Parts: sequence; structure tokens; C-alpha cells
Amino acid sequence: MRVRILRQQTSLSESYWENFRVDVPKDMTVAGLLDHINFNDDIIDENGNKTTRIGWECSCLQGICGACAMVINDIPALACETFIKDLKKDEITIRPLRKFPVIHDLIVDRSVIHENLKKINLYIGEYHPVKAKNLKKAEKEHRQQYDVAKCLKCGICLEVCPNYVNGNSFFGALFANECYLVSSRNETEKKEILKNYEKHFGNTCSKSFSCMDLCPMKIQTIASVAGLNKNSFHN
Amino acid sequence: MESALVIGSGIAGMSSAVELAGKGVKVQLFSPFPSERSQSVMAAGGINAVLKGHEEGDSIASHIEDTLKGGRYIAGERAVRGLCEGAEDIIDHLEKIGTVFSVNESGRPDRRAFGGQSHKRTCYCGASTGKQIVSALIMEVRRFEAKGIIERKLWRFFHSALIKDGVCYGALLFNEITGKLEAYCADAVIIATGGQNKLFGKTTGSTQCDGYAAARLFMQGAKLKNLEFIQYHPTAMETYQKKMLISEAVRGEGGRLFYCEGENRVYFMEEKYGSGGNLMTRDVISREIDAVKKDVFLDISFLGRKEIERRIPEVKDTCLKYRGIDICNEPIPISPAVHFFMGGLAVHLNHETNIRNLFAIGECASMYHGANRLGGNSLLAAIYGGRVAAGEISGRRVERESINYADILEHENERLDMLRQSKSSFPVNYIRDMVADTMNRDLGIVRNREALERGISDIDYYLSVADRISYDSSVLMYANYSLKGILTLAKATLISAEFRKESRGSHFRSDYPKESKDYEASSIISYNDGKFDVCLDKESVYES
Ligand SMILES: Cc1cc2nc3c(=O)[nH]c(=O)nc-3n(C[C@H](O)[C@H](O)[C@H](O)COP(=O)(O)OP(=O)(O)OC[C@H]3O[C@@H](n4cnc5c(N)ncnc54)[C@H](O)[C@@H]3O)c2cc1C
Repeated sequence: MRVRILRQQTSLSESYWENFRVDVPKDMTVAGLLDHINFNDDIIDENGNKTTRIGWECSCLQGICGACAMVINDIPALACETFIKDLKKDEITIRPLRKFPVIHDLIVDRSVIHENLKKINLYIGEYHPVKAKNLKKAEKEHRQQYDVAKCLKCGICLEVCPNYVNGNSFFGALFANECYLVSSRNETEKKEILKNYEKHFGNTCSKSFSCMDLCPMKIQTIASVAGLNKNSFHN
Repeated sequence: MESALVIGSGIAGMSSAVELAGKGVKVQLFSPFPSERSQSVMAAGGINAVLKGHEEGDSIASHIEDTLKGGRYIAGERAVRGLCEGAEDIIDHLEKIGTVFSVNESGRPDRRAFGGQSHKRTCYCGASTGKQIVSALIMEVRRFEAKGIIERKLWRFFHSALIKDGVCYGALLFNEITGKLEAYCADAVIIATGGQNKLFGKTTGSTQCDGYAAARLFMQGAKLKNLEFIQYHPTAMETYQKKMLISEAVRGEGGRLFYCEGENRVYFMEEKYGSGGNLMTRDVISREIDAVKKDVFLDISFLGRKEIERRIPEVKDTCLKYRGIDICNEPIPISPAVHFFMGGLAVHLNHETNIRNLFAIGECASMYHGANRLGGNSLLAAIYGGRVAAGEISGRRVERESINYADILEHENERLDMLRQSKSSFPVNYIRDMVADTMNRDLGIVRNREALERGISDIDYYLSVADRISYDSSVLMYANYSLKGILTLAKATLISAEFRKESRGSHFRSDYPKESKDYEASSIISYNDGKFDVCLDKESVYES
């Protein structure tokens, strides 16, 4: 099998494609594949030339930390849960997420995610939940809050979003979800949050919700948006 | 005190940072990657606390006794008492900052039963307790970041502490973006860098936890404690990339362990221990599996698809996703895997190490778990330790001494430059893999003198070439410079295991299979210019 990887030695250098020939079981993940290439003492490309180890980030290796987000056959995904058998083509192309600055090979700097949340100063601080009308609604809200708090901040929702560019003004789905989480668990924060939500998400989101199709945690951003809109009507 | 460095931003590091900031102490919080990537997010099961409205018969005294007993009576009673008494307040605080707990009818955190505990007292957040707590803590840290009291610094790896005459004044951190060492001074330093997984290669935990910080501090004079106590989780499923934890909940729901003899299934745990055999403690089951010397499986298929989907959906999904196994129809192949480190930096009750103003918390510190940890106690200990250290630091007077670090920085930079130029025939990654092989082979579930000595001599060989590795510019600089520390820690762990000539908790010696009164104390190991010294803390120096 042929693996094409977009490489870049440092944040300042040019990127280039490098190809590898590998023979690995189909039930391996892309994370396993990268490990496999890196395992040998000498790393050899498809032309038999010695090359350097491929830089990539990982931590949990089971889809709950978001470290290994990258673009695999044009689709942003976590390498540790993308299986070779599920990739349609016989050739695999791997590149770093495109909307973040590259640091080394597949490692990108996603600090803009955190910086934007910091700018808006989103935090629960004191638990004062919005009172749900009945038990069923309360359970639904709780479920959504639980799901939203599982957000990995991996950046995949930003990578696929047609509206997200570089985080200067539009902050993307993960921001909308965080707004929902905070406002639903602390009613007193709601007003201020809604203002920022409109400014950095609501007014710009074209509602394609491609973010939901690819979210590794399957977070239903649409439900967060509905929750926030409902809140804004009440105000 | 007015300022602190917190190194590591998992649950322990963030807890201490928030607590310090709340008391007005300025914090710089360092980690290479954001908190979402820390091992803390992997904790699934829960966090222990005896809350108001507890199960009948439960009490803080019972939590203390379970913890001491689980640790085979070598954890300090005073420390454990503080931990268990502080638990309710910790849960209240986590609730207050918005952690999404699973709740009961009255809206308070629900509780579940967990191994080794006499009562149902494990609070949980669905199947992602650690992640939910991390998410809440990140917001709290952010609140103080916005106020300018906490400053988060990413892409920094710990290099070494700035120590003079037994006092710590700050730390050197390596910045992987600029490729430079940076010096930071503060009134106190807290180490919160997690466990030592990388010593063993593939474990159930995060690849980011390698024990280097504890190792380097050990080489700088800090003492380490109870390194020989390493918890194996009996049921991990091997994948190409890691050993994936299969939750205890499967056995809690009736899961049965077996191996095959011809056509027949041998339910070895039930045969030996009766109907409750599959629910024995982690160390007993791990040893029994190890003794079987055959492929072992865990079967829950008899529960039926509907119940499996209702009660353990995550386990079903994980097995299907990573191994294509439908647990409703077939058993799960399992084997024990390294899961938790009871040992680490030796700390006093206030979480200070033997080096003044240097503190350690969370899994990198050794305090509450003795010879074995109860599930659900480590998240509690990570948060509690963070609070204790923060309380101590904020209440202490600033010492106006300082250190002239310019020379140290220059010297360490020169050493890194030398490393960059080294070109011998020993690739750094190769040695790291060999260390893991040695540790898995010689410091497994069952140990003996011969294997431990062989392990020590292997590590000695790697140490002898550690200064002559071939520098690999395509991996992190950190991976290169941390090697010697990691080898030193590996050796210290093997020596501690050889020293303890008994079996206790997670430490089992086939040549000394009985627990011995003579060893009813923590082991303390120190390092001096290549020399390792181990002793027992019989005077309970680290209990004060
Ligand atoms: C699969 C699994 C399930 C678990 N389930 C439970 C459970 O249900 N209940 C329970 O109580 N416990 C559980 N545990 C244990 C628990 O998760 C850990 O003990 C706890 O999270 C440790 O927290 P910590 O903050 O000490 O370390 P970590 O969360 O590991 O954080 C360490 C931090 O230090 C940073 N770091 C590491 N090295 C360096 C360095 N050299 N320089 C700078 N920074 C560094 C890391 O990037 C990270 O930010 C589980 C563990 C695993 C693996």
C-alpha cells in the first residue's frame, strides 16, 4: 500500500510530499500505521532513500483526547480511530489540519481554540442551572450538557466548517457548544454569553452543520444552537 | 507565598493552580500540550467520596479503612484520613464549578459500587468521569487566566529544577517551538506530571506520561517512594497501538474469565475462588491470569444484546471498533496491563518533597495508596493533593533568597548542544523500546531476584551508552534529553522491587510469596552521583 504524507520540517520551512510503501494489516488504524513507519531504526521512503521520522501527536490512542486529528484522504479525523479497512482508496494521503499553523509534519498549533475561549472568558463559575419544565426535558438537557462537555477541542469541527477561516471573528461549533454548556449550567451568565454567541457564531454560521458529521464525539451542535436560541427568545 | 510554577496540567496540576489562584498566588502552568490531552481525561469509572445521604452503614471511617486495607497498611493513616475527610468538599466544589455528574432523583451526584470497597461511594459522570472533571477545571483555570492570575504556557517540557542547598527556586523548561531552554523562578514549584507509563511501552494510559520529571528530580536529590508498587489491570484488550482497558463493570455485570482446554472452557477464577471469583481484586486476578500461561477471555455474551447495550454500551463499542469483536456473541481476549503507579516522589503530609519549596501531587507523587490503589481514589488524591499543596504554599512566608541561574542555564544549554552533535550507533528510540522490553520481562506481575538482577544489569548497560546516543532530530528534543532520566528511574524501580523481599499488594515475589511484618513500611530510594540507596521509612518520616 502507498502512503503519501505532507511533511514540513519546521513551522518556517516549505512543505513537501513524501511517499512510503507499507505492508500492514487492514484492521490497523492510521495511528498504528504511523507508528509502524516510525518504528524502524532507519526510515526509508518509497524510493529507498533514508528519511526522517514522521512527527505526529498522540496521547490516549483511543479517541478521547483529540491529539491525533489530521486530514486522512481529504477527511479530517482522529488517526487513532480511522481504520485502514474503512478507507476507500488503495492509496492513503495524510496531511496536517489545514486551518492551523504547522509546527512539524502533522503537528499543528491549535492554541487559537483556547485563546478565543479565553477572550470571551467563558466559565461556569457557579452552578445555577436553568430549570427545565419537566423531568423529560431535564434529562434531555443533562444528556446534551454531558455530551458537550466531552468536546475534545481537536479542531475537526473548525477544519470542515465552511465559515471558519482562522478564528479571528468566527469561532466555530466548539465555541457554540461551550456557550450552551455554560449558559445552561449557570443562568446568570446567559445574557452576556448570548451576545458573544451571536457575534462570534450565530450571525455567521450558515447552518451546514458539516461539523456534526465529523465530530469524533458526535456532539449535536444543532441541539446546542436550539438550546441557545430558545434561551434568547426567553430573554 | 506569592508565586508558583505548576508543571503538568492534568487534574492534579489544574486543581492546585485553581486553588492557588483563588488565594491570590500567581501561577504559571506548564505542559507540552493542553489539558484535554492529559491522561486524566481517560479516567472512566469515578471518584470516591462518602457524601451526606450515603449508603446505610457507610462512613468516612469505612472509606479510610478500605483505603488502608487496599494499600496493605503501609499508607499513612493521617494522610488517608485527610483524603477521605476532604472528599465531600471536593465533590461539592466540582459540582459548583459545573461538572456534569450523573445525578440521582434529588439532583446530587449518583454513586456506584467499585472494586475493593465495602460500600457504594464512587461518584461518576457516565463513562467519562475524568473528562467531565477536566472540562470543568479547564473553565475554572480559564477564569483565572482572564484575570491574569494564572498564565498557561504550552509546548514546554520540564527539564530540571533550580535547586541550591536543598531549596528549590524554580525550574528550567524546554520550549519545543523555539528549541531553547527557559528559566523560570518562583516561590514554589509543584510537579504534577502523572505516572511513569513509558517505562513499560504500551499501557492502558497516555503516552505523555513517562516519569521523566520525577526521574530528573531524583537525580537532583529528591527521594522516591514505593516504586515497586505498580498496579496491573487484569482486563486489557491488546490492539496494534495500545492496551485498552476493559472496564471492571464487565465483571461487575457478571462477566466470566476463562481459558480453553480443547473444546472446554475452564472458568479458572470460579474454580479456585467460588462464585465471586471473577470479582476478586485486581492484583489477585492479574496473578491468576499470569499463572494460566494461556490465552484468557472474558465472556459477557450471556447477558444478551439488550442488557449489554443498556449497561455497558462503551465496552461493546470499543471492542467492536478496535477488534471487530461483538461482545454480544463472542468473548473478549484480555490480558493484564500496567495501569497505575502507586510509587513516585516521596512527599510529606503537606506534599512537599525533601527539597524545600518543591512539591509533588497527583500520580507522580506517592502518598495515599500504599501497596495498592482503590479504583476511584486516584482522581480524589489528585485533587486533594493539589489543594493541600496550594494551601501550604499560600500560607507560607516568602523567602527572599534567590538563585543565580545564568550559569546553570548556560551549562545545561551546552549539554543540550553536545547532545545535538552526538552521532553514535545507539538510536534513542531503540533504547527506549529496549527499556520497555526489559521492564515488562523482568518487572512483571510476578517477580524474583534472578529476573530483577538481570533487569538491573540490562539497564546498567543502557545507562553506560546513554551519553553516546545518536541524536534524533526528527523526534522531540525532549525524547532525546529525557533518556538518561528514564533509564535511571527504571533502575531505581528494579532496585526497589529487589529490595522488598516479601509480597504485598501489587508487588508479588515468587521467591518471597508471603507478606512480612519486617517490611510493613514504605520504601524510600535516594540517588547520589550514580549510587542508589534504599531503605524502609520505619520512622514514618514521610508521615509528617
Ligand atoms: C484508562 C484509565 C482509567 C482510569 N480510571 C480512573 C478512575 O475511574 N478513577 C480514578 O480515580 N482514577 C482513574 N485512573 C487514574 C487517573 O486517571 C490518574 O491517576 C490521574 O488522572 C492522574 O492525574 P494527574 O493530574 O496526576 O496526571 P495526568 O492527567 O497524567 O497529567 C499529567 C500532566 O503532566 C504533563 N507532563 C507530563 N510529562 C511532562 C513533562 N516532562 N514536562 C511538562 N509536563 C509534563 C502532561 O502533559 C499532563 O498535562 C485511570 C487511569 C487510566 C489510564
